[in-house]
Parts: sequence; C-alpha cells; structure tokens
Amino acid sequence: MTVFKAFLKILNRNKGIVIMYTVILLVFGVTNMSTNNSNNLFTASKPSVLIVNEDNGNISKNLVKYFNENSEIKKIANNEEARNDALFYQDVSYIIYIPKNYSSDFLSGKNITLDIKKTDTYNGAYAEMLLNRYLNVANIYQKSVSDENELINKINETLKKEVKVEVTSKLNTGELDKASFYYNFMSYSMLACLIYVICLILQVFNQDKISKRNIISSTNYKKSNRILLLSNFLYSFVLWLFYFIVSMFIVPEVIFSMHGVLYLINSFIFMITCITLSFLLGNLIRNKNAISGVVNVVALGSSFLCGVFVPVNLLPSFVLSVAHIFPTFYYVEGNTLISSLEDFSFINLKPLFMNFIIMIIFCIVFIILTNIVSKKRQKIG
Amino acid sequence: MKKVIEVNNLTKEYKGVKAVDDLSFDVNEGEILGLLGPNGSGKSTTINSILSLLNYKSGNIKIFGKKMDTNAYDIKSKIGVVFQDVAVFDELTVYENIDYFCGLYITDKNKRKQYVSDALDLVGLKEFTKFRPKQLSGGLLRRLNIACGIAHKPKLIFLDEPTVAVDPQSRNNILDGIKKLRDNGATIVYTTHYMEEVEILCDRVIIIDKGKIIATGTVDELKNLSNIKEKVTVEVLDLSDKYIEEIMSLKNVDSVIYQNNELFVTYKKGKNNIVEMIDYFKNKRINYSKIFVERPTLNDVFLELTGKELRD
Amino acid sequence: MFLHNFIYALKILCKNKVLIFWTFAFPIILGTLFNLAFSNISNSEKLDVIDIAVAGENINSNFKESIDILSNKDNSDKLFNTKYVTLNEAKKLLDDEKIVGYIYNEKIVVKKSGIEQTIFKYVVDEINSKINMSSSIFQAEISKEIENGNYNINYELINKKVNDQLNTKVSLNDTSNKNLDYVMIEFYTLIAMACLYGSLLSMTCLNNIMPNMSNEGKRLSISKTKKVSLILSNLCASYLVQLVGLLILFTYTIFALHVNYGSNLIYIILLSLAGSLAGLSLGVVVSIKFKVGENAKIGILIGIVMFWCFLSGMMGITMKYIVDKNIPILNKINPANMITDGFYSLYYYDTLDRYLLNVISLIVFSLLLLVISILNLRRQKYDSI
Repeated sequence: MTVFKAFLKILNRNKGIVIMYTVILLVFGVTNMSTNNSNNLFTASKPSVLIVNEDNGNISKNLVKYFNENSEIKKIANNEEARNDALFYQDVSYIIYIPKNYSSDFLSGKNITLDIKKTDTYNGAYAEMLLNRYLNVANIYQKSVSDENELINKINETLKKEVKVEVTSKLNTGELDKASFYYNFMSYSMLACLIYVICLILQVFNQDKISKRNIISSTNYKKSNRILLLSNFLYSFVLWLFYFIVSMFIVPEVIFSMHGVLYLINSFIFMITCITLSFLLGNLIRNKNAISGVVNVVALGSSFLCGVFVPVNLLPSFVLSVAHIFPTFYYVEGNTLISSLEDFSFINLKPLFMNFIIMIIFCIVFIILTNIVSKKRQKIG
Repeated sequence: MKKVIEVNNLTKEYKGVKAVDDLSFDVNEGEILGLLGPNGSGKSTTINSILSLLNYKSGNIKIFGKKMDTNAYDIKSKIGVVFQDVAVFDELTVYENIDYFCGLYITDKNKRKQYVSDALDLVGLKEFTKFRPKQLSGGLLRRLNIACGIAHKPKLIFLDEPTVAVDPQSRNNILDGIKKLRDNGATIVYTTHYMEEVEILCDRVIIIDKGKIIATGTVDELKNLSNIKEKVTVEVLDLSDKYIEEIMSLKNVDSVIYQNNELFVTYKKGKNNIVEMIDYFKNKRINYSKIFVERPTLNDVFLELTGKELRD
Repeated sequence: MFLHNFIYALKILCKNKVLIFWTFAFPIILGTLFNLAFSNISNSEKLDVIDIAVAGENINSNFKESIDILSNKDNSDKLFNTKYVTLNEAKKLLDDEKIVGYIYNEKIVVKKSGIEQTIFKYVVDEINSKINMSSSIFQAEISKEIENGNYNINYELINKKVNDQLNTKVSLNDTSNKNLDYVMIEFYTLIAMACLYGSLLSMTCLNNIMPNMSNEGKRLSISKTKKVSLILSNLCASYLVQLVGLLILFTYTIFALHVNYGSNLIYIILLSLAGSLAGLSLGVVVSIKFKVGENAKIGILIGIVMFWCFLSGMMGITMKYIVDKNIPILNKINPANMITDGFYSLYYYDTLDRYLLNVISLIVFSLLLLVISILNLRRQKYDSI
C-alpha cells in the first residue's frame, strides 16, 4: 500500500502536465465538434464562399441565391482584413466582390469584370467553377433575352437541371471521420501523459537510494515492483476510460455502435503499447530533466509522422514509410480502417486485426527490451 | 583589541518562533571565533542575519565599525563566506568556479590568476582544476566550496559548517587551511557542531542553544565552567558494592558508575586524583588492568549547561 | 565586473544541456517534423486530376466529346482520367476505390460524398446544361428564321451563331494575395516557441543569482557586486544565447526548410527581438513569482509556452483562426500568437499596421512582466532563504 500511496503522491504533484494534455485534447475534440467539419477539407462538398455585394439589383440577388444553394455562404466581419484572414486560414475558399450597379450594367450588356479572391484548393477551384458556370449561362441568355425577370427565370431553369447521384456507401462518414479524428488526437495526449508520468515514477523509484531502501524494507521487492506495475496500469486505465467517456459526448452515434466497440479495442491496445513503451523509456532515461524532452520529441514526433495532426493521405510517402516504425502508425491506420468499415465480416475486419497484432508485437518487443536494459543496469550497479 | 564584528541584541523570528533570541557578541581582529551549537540552534540564521541576507526583527550589526546592510558594498568586499551547502556551478570547472567567484572582487587579471592559484594550493585541489564539480568526491567538493569563498583573500571569513559529511583526510586538510588563513591575518567566524574541531581550532568559543548564548570564552575557560574537572576510567573485575560506596566517599569525587566491569569516576576539583585512586586499589588489593584519565570535553560542558548532548 | 559576470553567465548557460536542448535542439527537431508532415499538404489540396469511369454503351456523342476534351492529357485544364468500361467493371473499380465515381445511364454513382465527387457531378451538370442550351438556342434560332419567312435555312450559319452566343468569356480578376501558403503559420509558431523558450534561459540565470533560490545566489549576493549589475549581465547573457539560438533556427528554416518570412529583414529582426524580450521577461517573472524548485519552473514554463503555441496554431493551424475569430482577447494577450501573427502579417499583408500592433503588444507584454518583477525584487532581503 505504501508503494501505491507514494505513486499517488507523485501523480498528484505532477497532475498539471496530465491536465494540460487532457485540456488540449478536449479543446481539440470540442472545437472539432462545433466547427462541423468545415476545417476538414475532404468531406466538405459545399465550398465556403463569401460574397461582398454592394449592388441592390435582382441579378446580383439571384447570383447570391445561386451560391446559397450550392455553397456555404460565410458571414465574416465587414472589413477587408477579416476577409483576408478568413481566406488565408481557408475559412472561406472564395470571395466574390459584386460592384455597385452590377445588375443594371449587366442588363445593358456591359462586359463586367468581377474581382475575386481564392485559395489554391479544391474548394477554391470548385467555387470558381460554380461562378463561371453561372456567369456563362447568364451571359448567354443576356444576349437574347432583355426582360430581367425572364432572364432570371431562364438562368435558374438551366442551372436547376441536375444529374442524379447515387451514393453506394451507407456510412455516416462525417461522424465517423470526427470519431477517427478524436481518437487519433487522443494518441498524442495519451502518449504524452503516460510517458511523462510513468518515466517520472520509475525515475523516483529507481533512484539508487530509494531502490536500495525498498529492497531492504520489509515489503517484498518483487511485490512492490508488482504494485508499481499495477499502479501504472491503473493510472493508464483511468486516463483511457476518461478519454473514452469524453468521446461518448463528442460522437455518441458512433460510440454506441459496432464502430465504437472497435475504436474502444483499438485504443485499449494502443494504451497497453504506450505503457510498455513508457516502461522502456523510463528504464533508458537516467536524468530526470531529460523526461520532458523525451516526452515532447516522442509524442510530437510520432504524432506528426503518423498522421495524427496531419491526415495520413496528406503525408509524403517517404514519411509514411518511416512512420511504420511507430506503433502510433498502426493505431491511426486502425482508426481509419474502422471509419470505413461497412459490414463487419471477417474479411473486412482482417486488416484491422492485423494492426492489432502488430501493436501487440510492439508491446512484446518493448517488454523484452525493457528487461534487457534493466538487467544490464543491475550489473553496472 | 579591534572589534571586527559587533552584534547587539539580534532577534530573528520564523513564523512567531524565535530562531535567534536577543543575541549579543563581538568578534575580535585576528581570532578564530567558534560558534558551537547543535543542529537547529540558530548558528546559520545568525550568520545570514549578520550578512544581511535575512531580514531580522531587531538588533544592531556592525562590521569593521560600520553598519552592515545589503548595499554596504565596501564591507562586502572584505568578506568571504563559505556556506553550509555547496554553492558552486555544476556547469563550470573547478578552476572556472574559483575564478568566477574571485573575479567578483578582483578585477585585475594577473592578480586574480595568482589568487586563484593560492586558493587551489590552500585547499589542495591543484590536480583537479579541469574537473567538473559532479566529478569530485564529497570531500573535494567541500574544499572547492571553501576555495570559492576565500579566494579573494578577505579580511573576514565566515565558515558555516564547512566540514559536514567530509572524510577525515579532507577534514584535516580543511582545518589546516583555516589555520593558515588566520595566520595570514584573517578574522574567522566558524560555526560547527563538532566540538573536536572547536577545541583544535578556535581561539574563542560561543556556545549557542535555542537561539541564545549559553556560554562564551576560550576552550579552557569553558571547560573550567564545568563542575567536572577530571574523569577517570578503570577496568576492574567484579567490584563489590561496598567498594563502590567507599570510592564515592574519596576526596573530590563527584559521581561513580560501575558498568560492564568498567568504573567511571568523575572529580569536581584537582588534577592528581588518579594517584589517590591507585593507592586505594593497592590498599584494598583490588586488581585493575587499565586506567586512564581525561579532561572534560566541551560536550560535558554543554551537557551540564543544557541537560542534553551536543550531538543527537 | 559586468563583463566578467556576463562571460561566466554565458559559459554557465551554454554548458547546461537541458537548456540547450529546449532552446536550440527542440525547435529544430520540431521544425524538421513540421517539414516532413506538411511538405505535401499544400500540393495535395490543389485540384488534382480525378479518376472517373463512363459505363455502358449508349453514350451521347456530345457528352463524350466534352468529357474527352477534359480528359485530354494535352489540355492544360485536364480534369479527369476517364475509363470507358462495362457496368460491372465500373462497380468493381468503385469498390476498390480506383475511381471516384462512374456515370451510367445519365446517373452518377459514387461511394461517398466529398469534394471530388461534387466536382464530378458539377462537370456532368455543366456539360448537360451546355448541351441543353445549345439545342434550345439552336431551336430558337431556327424558329426565328421561320418566323421571318426564311425557309431555306443555312444550318452552318445558325451553328456559327449559336456557337457565338455560347462562346462568352467570363472575366474574373483575381485580387488575392499570392502568399497563401497557410502551412507557414506552423513555422511561425515554431519561431514563437523558440522565442518564448528563451524564458528557460532567463529563469535559470535568475535562479543562479537569487539568494533565496540557490546557494550560488547566496554567495553572489554577499559579494561586493551590485545586484543591478549582476541581474543585467545575466539577463544580457541569456538574451544573447537566445538570439544565437534563434539565428540558427532562422538559418535552418530558411535555407533547409525554405520557410518564407516575408521579404523585409529589418522587420523580421525587430519582431524576433521583441519576441525574445517577451520570452526573457516571462522567465524573469516565473523565476521571481513562483516559489517552487527549478525543475518545477521548467515544467511550468514548458507547459505555458506549449499551451500558448497550441492556441496560436501549432497543433492545427485552424486553432489560431478559431480563437482569433471567436475569442480574440485570448490571442490578443497570448505572446506566442503575437509573434506568429506578426510574421503572418509580414508574409500576407502589404501594410504594416497589424505587424506593428503585434510588435507593440509584445513590448507592452514584456514591460508589464518586467515591472511586476522589479516591484517584487525591490524587497531585497528575505524572511527565509
């Protein structure tokens, strides 16, 4: 019990770090929820467009109406700086400036050049396509139709005709992507919290004086080691459980389904891998001051290289091949696989199970290495 | 005799508890003054107050005849301090550490080089100049700590328990060094809870307990304060109670203890009590194997004055 | 005396491995990670060629023609890689995600919704409406001719007329700034982090010389060196080390990682100096105000700085924008964001207003912390040490 109490004391003294990483995860999870994918460029099918309309005519109103139907019109503070910021951070992909008297000039057949601003992205290109199409149709009819209302009707009629689209997948991709995003980010917080705390605790207990004192104390050495292991596991488990509970609030539909169970298993196995990795690092690090350095390099490094902060499909291939040496890679890939699962037949689940097995192999390797390292250390001591 | 330090009615409290209680004493030029007291008796607090490192509640402190405070830089330039805790930079080598602290006082480079080399000689660290503090043993580290405090050849040196946790060889080296410093004309205030060091080293001793001075004087003067003047130990087998009572009634005897075939006798007065003891044994035909005589130690004095041992 | 302290403070800082790791090595490691992770991001967001398939046999010739133009590899606006396959083959291709979708019987089939699918649909709509329009204009022209009593219709002429009408040129004037690479923000947060990690240096320096924090400080404070000179020499040393670290980081990011900090060197230097000053004063205030051990102080500083960097977009650039837009005050008082935003304004904006505001904010931030520290330092003696 004394070992466990000491463990709790050390944990309590360093709770700040755990809280910080957890807060970062929560902020990330919650903002991700409230922004509703607008920052995830690859599921949005409506580009976000900003229209600065200084005209009052019906032609420009119709243009706005068209964009309202085919894109997400953004409301941005009415100044150029806010618009420029929005464009830079891709809050809007496209800005259209409609000048004064646009409608009347257009009707009189003047060739008007519109000012626009755009990002160099899919969404920007798509928004421009929409604008081009509208203007093309409008220009064509303007040559033959002179009545404003008839012109607008003709334009809208032409633009209204749409091809039918059938979507074969029945998945709620938006929610599943969100869940994957949250669970991916969780690997960063989890890794950082576990490595930091476990390394620190191993440091404290491995300090020569204390470990000697422990050996000669009445508590059995092996028993106290076991309690230490158990305490670390308990701490990790509680943290993992907490992160899981948070995910129930962020993506409830996903969590209370078969997908949720798989996310749960995947993250649990990853947690075990983190614990074993932390034990290895804790045995390797000799200097207490080095811990935060190692935490940041390992946690940030694996997160950046394995697709936690940047989606895997955006990473260059050579980075991905390097990423194979991190367990995080298989965890993230596991999450991606889960989010694309439609039915849970064995054939579909097989690649996911492969990832589980690879993570478990990582665990075993870490445990073996830890044993080798600590054996060597005992000899030196 | 010139007074280097004058302390009048110094009182310092920590959260309502008096750590130093109305302390007054002087330090004379060229002497080694020992501040002797058990751990937590207020020795370090006294020194830190004298150095103006701490706020104190009341009292008057003069050094070299001038009032000491944080901005008394002319006084500070003549002071050297060796603290209880090792205060050196782990990032610097032995030489660099001494050079750095010496350089705070001595700006002339050539002079400083000489001073640093003198300090290295004094503490015997010549071969270790390129070492980092982490690579030194405890004793050597203490010596470096001393060298850093005295390299600028101050007129007044405070040594706050410089020999705590030091091996005997280093301790002797340190004590020799301190004597040399005094011989070179420095005044030294030396705090310790090792009475042996005080007996070897100090010209004058102040015994402190619970923030109060309980005795002042030279080592001999202090010992004379004690009721006990002589202690005799005899190894003798199976002494009966009758004899013990008789010994008790011998001249000058203060107390008698018989334990594990050893007889401890203390005397209130006189010097040649042992002769009488031997005569007594001869008369009674008691066989004894060993016999030896001791003068009282400062520990005995402390014990008598406070009712507790100096070291616990 | 000043010089002596300064030189030794430099030596002490440079030999402290933990500090050197955080201020020199860590930003470079992180920068390398950013570069690895983001090197592809700007490219992969650009419009790429989309793989599609056309299934079945009965394909409208006009439609096929239009698709072929968009799939022609000599066309600079090439949009599609098109395969003509049977329905079953198309289904298989879609299942294996070899194509984004296929068109069959005037219907598009995709696996899920997304931007590529949307563009696919859009282009099909566009082609269809073009075909419809041309036929309706063609009809209209013919009926016009007939109305005018001209029964001898010259189809070629009408075709030309129709094409004239269809061929209108839309003119758009792109006024957006060309510096739109938002990945740059990552590297700006990196510089911000490096600036603020300077706090570790100044904090250590002060810890070394304060009597209530270290034994060395006790020793220094009983020496005849004036406290002001001691503090200034140490802070100058920490500032210098910090700037050298920044210089290395700038050199590395500019020449190895090709980061664009805007073109005006003077402004970059001014911002870096102000940012480093903010870092320095942060260290000073943490050193003086927090009564905990040195390791705990390092932990506090790293925690604060990482959190600030997080808010200014280090772990996801959108974070900065979200905070800027919704809780602007949070980033207005965040020095990491002041630095990041300063570089962003230099990179993206032509005017200097916003840049200057950031520089001034940094200086105000620094002075504020320094004043707090000085007020605390005025109590030169301590009740306990």
